[in-house]
This record gives sequence, C-alpha cells and structure tokens, in this order.
Amino acid sequence: MRPFKYTSTNSTSDATNLLVKNPNAHFLAGGTNLIDLMKEDVERPDELIDLTRLDLTSVSAITTGLNNGGVTIGAVGKNTDAANHQLIRQNFPLLTKAILAGASAQIRNMATNGGNLLQRTRCSYFYDTAMPCNKRSPGTGCAAKEGINRMHAIFGWSEDCVAVYPSDMAIALSALDANVKVMQADGKIRSIPIQDFHRLPGNHPEKDNNLNRGDLITSIEIPKNKFAAHSAYVKVRDRNSYAFALVSVAAGLELDGNKIVSAHISMGGVAHKPWRALKSEAFLKGKAATTANFKAAAEAEMVDAKTLSHNKFKVDLGKNTIVSALEIALRGTDSKA
Amino acid sequence: MEEKNKSIGKAVNRIDGILKITGKATYATDYPAKNMAFAVIFKSTIAAGTITNIDTTLAEKAKGVLTVITHKNAPKLNEKGGIRGGALLQSPEILFYGQNIGVVVAETFEQATHAAHLIKVDYQKKEGKTDFEKLAPSAATPKGKELADLVRGDAKGTLNTAAIKVEEIYETPIEHHHPMEPHSTIAVWEDDKVILYNGSQIINGAQTAAAETLNLKPEQVRIVSPFIGGGFGSKGGQWANLILTAVAAKAISRPVKLALTRQQMFNSVGLRQQNIQKISLGATKEGKLISLAHETTTQTAIDNEFLEPCGDCSKIMYEVPNSLISYKVAPMNIILPTYTRGPGKSTGSFALESAMDELAHKLKMDPIELRLKNEPQKDPSNGKPWSSRKTVECLKEGAKAFGWEKRKPTPGTNKIGDDLIGYGVACGTYPARQRDSSAIVKLTKSGANVLATVEIAASDLGTGTNTILAQTAADGLGISLEYITVKLGDSNLPPAAGSVGSVGAASFANAVNDACTKITDELLVKSGKQFFVRPTAYQLMVSENISEFQTRVDAKAPKEADQYSAHSFNANFAEVRVNALTGMVKVTRFLAVTGAGKILNPKTARSQIIGGNIWGIGMALSEESVIDPRWGNFATRSFGDYHVPSNLDVGKLDAMFINEDDKIPNKMGVKGIGEVGIVGVAAAIANAIFNATGKRIRKLPTTPDKLI
Repeated sequence: MRPFKYTSTNSTSDATNLLVKNPNAHFLAGGTNLIDLMKEDVERPDELIDLTRLDLTSVSAITTGLNNGGVTIGAVGKNTDAANHQLIRQNFPLLTKAILAGASAQIRNMATNGGNLLQRTRCSYFYDTAMPCNKRSPGTGCAAKEGINRMHAIFGWSEDCVAVYPSDMAIALSALDANVKVMQADGKIRSIPIQDFHRLPGNHPEKDNNLNRGDLITSIEIPKNKFAAHSAYVKVRDRNSYAFALVSVAAGLELDGNKIVSAHISMGGVAHKPWRALKSEAFLKGKAATTANFKAAAEAEMVDAKTLSHNKFKVDLGKNTIVSALEIALRGTDSKA
Repeated sequence: MEEKNKSIGKAVNRIDGILKITGKATYATDYPAKNMAFAVIFKSTIAAGTITNIDTTLAEKAKGVLTVITHKNAPKLNEKGGIRGGALLQSPEILFYGQNIGVVVAETFEQATHAAHLIKVDYQKKEGKTDFEKLAPSAATPKGKELADLVRGDAKGTLNTAAIKVEEIYETPIEHHHPMEPHSTIAVWEDDKVILYNGSQIINGAQTAAAETLNLKPEQVRIVSPFIGGGFGSKGGQWANLILTAVAAKAISRPVKLALTRQQMFNSVGLRQQNIQKISLGATKEGKLISLAHETTTQTAIDNEFLEPCGDCSKIMYEVPNSLISYKVAPMNIILPTYTRGPGKSTGSFALESAMDELAHKLKMDPIELRLKNEPQKDPSNGKPWSSRKTVECLKEGAKAFGWEKRKPTPGTNKIGDDLIGYGVACGTYPARQRDSSAIVKLTKSGANVLATVEIAASDLGTGTNTILAQTAADGLGISLEYITVKLGDSNLPPAAGSVGSVGAASFANAVNDACTKITDELLVKSGKQFFVRPTAYQLMVSENISEFQTRVDAKAPKEADQYSAHSFNANFAEVRVNALTGMVKVTRFLAVTGAGKILNPKTARSQIIGGNIWGIGMALSEESVIDPRWGNFATRSFGDYHVPSNLDVGKLDAMFINEDDKIPNKMGVKGIGEVGIVGVAAAIANAIFNATGKRIRKLPTTPDKLI
C-alpha cells in the first residue's frame, strides 16, 4: 500500500471541499472495497477523507412530496442496518433480501449504503496490475474480452470493457426505481434516478457512474410501491454464500388477482450496471401470472444477450433465474426459494 | 490399566485448545524478536523468459527500506538442497508466472510492500507452455519409475469382450491448499546458526532442506514449529520463502519476518495439478468386473517432475483380473505441483468411483451391490493379504445409518418444489504406514505426583497431534493427562517422521508408546524387584522414590508389516439438493464411514474426517484455479475467485468409525485418518447429483452452469 494522508470530518461541505482541493484524494466510507484496491495497488489515493462521522446514517420514512410513503436511507449508514430496518423489511423486503445476499455478515457490518453503490468491478484483470485493463489504465486494452470471462457481461458491453457491476443491493434499488441524492461540490443537491446512476462502459470504462468530482452521495430514496407482498431476489453463484453473482434477479410483482398490474425486474451479473429487464416487464404487463408467461418474458429479454467465450451459459441461466424469481415473487415474498 | 481409566480412545478435548482460542498459541509469525525487519517478496509477471533488467533504485531510496535482494546480489545457494519449486533468486531465468524475483526488506511490512511496487523489471519473453488443453495430447511418459505402467492381464483386450462397458474421461482442475495460516517465517541468526520459526509438516525435513540449501550443516539450522495453521501438503516440503527469509536476515544482520500474502500463495507453495483421467471398465452382465484401465494425463513444472498418483485407488479397490494403470505428463511453465490432501486418491477416486456409479446405472444395479460384488479378498495389485479391510462394513453400516433405502434408483424422480434430491455413494482408501521416529520421555517426581514430558520432533498441523501424544503417554505411564507435557515442533527434539501421508499418528504415537514401555522396563530393572502385576512407570517412580528418570527410543515399523497390504478404507454417502432452475447445489447431508484402525481420539478424529469431507465438498462444487494461457497467470487470484466452501455450502456432516483391531501395520493399530477423509467425497457428491438430476458431471467443479 502506498503512503496516504488520513482526514476525517463531520461536515459534508468540508468533505467535498477537501476532495476538490486534492485531485488525488478519495472519499473513504466502509472501506470494504477501497482498502482492498489500495492493497492491490489498483487505487492509489494519497489522501483519504473519512465520511463515517457524517450525520448521514439514518433510515426514515418519507412523509411529504413526490415520494411520500417511501423511505430515505442515509449514505453512510451500514448495509446491515439498512437490511434489518423495520421500514425496509416491511415495505421494501426486496432490498433486505438483496443486501443479505451480498458479501458476508462481517463485510455488511462495515460496508455503507452509498459505498455499496460505488463498488468497483471484481473482474480479476482489473485487480491484477500486471494485466491490461481499460478500466484501471485507460488505453491498455481489455484482457477479459478474449480471456477468462465466465463472470463477465452479456448485455451492454463494449470492445473496451466486458466487466460487470458487482452490487446486489443496487440490483434491488434498480427494480425499486430508487433515486440517489447527491450533494455537489457547489453545495447544491441533485437527485439521480438509479437507472442513470451507473454507466455502460462505452469508450470510457474507467467511469463506473455519472458522479462528478466533488459529488457526495447523501442518501438513497425509494418511492412507495406495491411490490412488498410479491418480491424476490434470486442470486445464482458458485457457492451458497460469499460469492459474486453469475446472474441475479430482483423481481417485484404488483398483482390484481392473478393479473400482473406491473412487474419490475432487474438483473445483476450481466452488465456494467444493474440491468433493468424492460422487455420482460413490458411483456408481463397486464398478463396472467403463469409460468408460461414468465418463461416468455424471460425469453424476450435474453434474446438480446451477446455472450463471450466462457459465459454462454448466462443466457439460459438468465432465463431460468428470471423465471425462478418471478415464481417465488408470485408465491409471496416470504415463501422459500 | 483398566479400559475405563484409559485415555486413548476417549473423546478428549484438545490439550492446546485454550491456548488457541485465547491467541496464546505461537504460530510462526508470533515470536517476538528484537529489532525485527520485514521482508516482502516480489514476483515475475511473465511465465517464461529472462530478466534483462531489474531497476531497484526507487525502491532502495524509499522510506524504511534496508535492502533489496534480487538474482544480482543474492548469495549463492544450493538449488538441489531439497527446497521445492526453485525460485531462489539464483538466475535471471523465469520458469513460471509469479516466480519470486526479489525480496524487499524494510523497517515495516507496509514500507516493504510499497517499495516492492516501485521496482521496474524488463524481460525478454519466451513462448511459455501454459495451455494444458493444448499440451495434454503430447504429454509423455513420466521419468519417475514408481509411475511406470502397471499391467495385470490384458485390460484393453478384455474390455472389448465385456458385456457392459464404461469408457469415460473425468477431469479435475488445479486446486490450491490455502491453509488458514499462509506460509510465514521469522529468521533469527546467532553467529553462524539460524533459528527458523516456520510452519513445517516435517520438522527434520525442513531442517535438512534449509541447511543444505543455505550451505550449512543441519546442526546450524533449528526449525521451530509448535503450532501450524494447516498445511494440507503445502508445508510438507519447504519452499523458497523459508530460505529467502534466512537470506534477508543474514543480509541485514537482523531478525526478519516474511509472510506470504494470500494472493502470493497461488504461485508460491505448490498446487494440486489438473488431471484428465480416462477410466475404462468392463463387466459381465452380472456386474463382475473383468477389466479396469485408469489412464491419467497430467501436468508438472517445466524443470521438475511431480505427479499425484491418480491410479492408486484403482490398483486396489476392486477384484479385477485385467488392469492397466498408466500416466502421461506435460511439463508446463507453472509452479511445481505438490502433495495435496489425499494426493492422487481424492482425484483418482473421483474418476474411479464415478465410473463405478455409471456402471451400476448401466447394469440397473444398486451401486452398493456392485461394489460388494467386486470386493477383493486380497490386494489385487500384489497378492498380499489385507492387514484389515472394512469396506463391506463401511458400505453396509453406512447405508443403514444414512437411510440409503430412501434413494430412488431412477434419476430425477425425487423432487420437492424446484429442488431435485439425490443420494450418492463412493468408496475411498489410503495407505497405513509407520515411519521411523524417536522420542524421549522424562519423568520428574513432584510431591505425590509424577510429571512427564514427552519430546519428539513431530508436528501438529492443528489436527490434535499434541493431544493424542499426551493421551498415549498418559496410558503408557499411568499418569493422568494433566501431568503430561508434550514438546514437539522443534528440530532440537528427537527426530521424527512428518505429518504427511497419514503417517503422523502411527509414527509419533508408536514412538511415544515405545518410549513409555521402555521407561517402565528400565524403572523395573532399576527397582530390582519382581511384580506379579506389572506396575506403571508412575507407580515405580513413587514406590522407588525416584526423583528424575528419562529414556529414549528409536521406533520403527514392525518388520512383518511388509508382508501385508495395510490401508484405511471408507464409504461416503451424500445427499444433495439441486435447484432445477438455477443449478445451485447444496450438500444437505454427508456421512463418511471409515475403517482406520485404532481411533486414538474420536473427537479430533471426527474433526479430521469432516474437515476432509468439507474440502471434498469444495472439490466437488466450487474450487478451481484457472490459468489464463496467454500469460500463464492465475485469473483466479483471491478468495473472491477461488471458492472454498462457506458454512452455507456444508450441510449436516457425520463421521462413523468401524471398529478395527489391526496390529499388523504397527503395535498400536493406528492406520491414520488425515488423508482418507477427502478420498471418495467428490465422487459421492457427483453420484448424488446424477441421482438427483440425471446429469453426469465428469468435469469438476460442479458449478451451476454445468447443471442448467
């Protein structure tokens, strides 16, 4: 690890000012990803600005405005606390399930909600500084595209990058149409819809998201919805815990009897961002909640997949995982997988 | 002594358990040393070629750096001194990706790590041999004589005449040992002598290899290793990191600590090689085997040969008149493979026992019945009688305990919701041997008590060796456990075998037992009295009022052991649930039934067996190290990519032992259990997956993509 300066503050404006002042400074929250990256010499900040003393840890109900009935989640609150908060468990159990499907209990106890959104890819070539990687060192090439790419993208990848985004929590937030609230360097607040928060790699895979330098995530807001009774998070992985998704699916169904009023489906492990399965959703809208329709919906989304040499299985696995998540959601949120 | 007063055979808690859970047990890096410096190894980023330039200027100037050692300034070492895997900084030549190319020594670990990032290396690259799939077809006969073709009868010819045939290829990936304690060393020089605190499965082996490599006499090197945080074979032989710590300490005339990082473990301390095994079974319609061929193609390092003997189980498991065991090996630019838990047997049994399951399915026969039909009465490979073999009991009692009758013979017919349920069985075996070991027993009278100290350069991998030796001494001396001190893990103690190849318990416990017998004999002589009932050493120390007494033995295996074939045998039973949509597998129940001679301590023995089972679950489902052939590096380079089982992957485990009284392999009747616990496990799970889904997995690990 390279030497760095450590700074801590309890003021959001101080935090952003400090960051803007030093182009090599980096925010530090839970550190569960950043510190690993520093140990591997991937991230090389010379100053860390610790955000964990900011008063941005609470989870509370939104009682006014557009998102009335929703919930706001503090950016430096811990993943564990968000997952177990009564408001989340009751109204947005999909988020609880997704958070608890990620990492390990120890990591979730350290990791923050805002930090979770900013996790970097776990592509092993990104971590290995001896390898080419456009995300780590723009212009050096993508080692994964013709390499060991079993874990990699099937949607939205570019010639420059085939990495996938690793968060589970964000997949649920995507299905829940969350908004990310950001304080800019100039002190102004803006709200970024989760679908626009992360980017596809394009020609700039080094940019994971649409934050500008000096932006500080202050909270995540989830608007009210009717998915609580029928939602599911299915994560398919190489072992039953503590592994990143081969494919994961967050699904929420709003039902009127057996008719699907609305379906929200988002996929993890398949793209550089949470992949909202809009074609599946469109297919399901207004139809009966049947296995046949679930299969057809899955088919509609996966038909556009573009596989790499080692991840062809993700097409069938993606279909099956969508079907599995929808079946569980239909049976009811509390039913067993 | 009356049986009920004996300690051996009782589920005694580990005598060092409190030390371990309170952090007081001293592992290699836990020794304090004054003025300690820290060393960090840096490694090659090519698989084959030559270093043309290595620029250490920036690193040498970095804060805290004391020295940088590369091939340019490293002392001349003896590369044939017994250190495995080379990489001793003796030349600019690169033979594998991640080869050690230098060591930075600094005041702190962080400073050394940082400085290592500042080193610039230029290479002249050569085309490396890094793609096993491409190299396998041209693999050649191994040089090692013990792996020459073993031919009985005409396996290929009779296969053609067989009514039922199975001819399939089974593949297993590279695996890594990854003990919880990464390989680490503290080196402290005193004049021309060096103490090496270093986890070592073979204390005297580590001492000899270190001495010879450093051009020292064995008495100039002391290995201290009272506790080891696991090894699984990777701390059997010693690797360059041990020597480089000593070299670094010598260079700066200060104690030096060097611990490999988890990431470095992938390219530093050996691996279990990738195997392609072809099994050809021929049987009569009644299920009698007439032909068995087990042909293994594997890989080794470019400059040194090591093969795990995948055909070993096939040599002895079944009665078959025609048999062929053969090996082919492809040298590659990879680190030297090495002994890895159940070497050859865990991977070989996956192939053989999967093929037996396939044969049973073709015969429409219960796989247990098929095995019982082909049970050999003597060792088919050499005609020797078994010292004991309890495969039949393992299968029958295991089936009863596991509820085998609930297995549905037709695959894919046992379903609950989206989950498919399956049962599988597979057998395993591992040789039982006693190796030369010496021990000293010292008795001291202390008031009404007699204190005993047992000294032996044995090693305890964390398996409970300390405890079983204390139990052995307690019974051998008539002294209760709390008055026994076991000193092991130090090359200053009487030389002993290693904790390798399941020889530890038999070798160490027999040496201690012999020492107890001898000291009792000597005390009897000293007393000059005759007794109707032989008194214990304790009674003699007290009755003769002797304040101190000691003796030493050099224990050897019984000569007649050679005339028998002595092995542990097991039967493994697995129940799996496979999600039909996602392909995720959970091993919900696993039972290992083992006939392994005298079980010295059922508690530590059970832990050994279920530990082996858990690694077997990893082998079956998730563990795989993948090389990117373009560079020869591991694309799986952390615990985020290399998936050892998590708690959720492990269902209910159970271990049963079949009672065996077999004094042929050694006087105490100990066969050893370290290795056999993993043998047959992967096959039992793969067979259960077939029973659940109808899908036959012939390439491990069974990740979800293989089942959808």
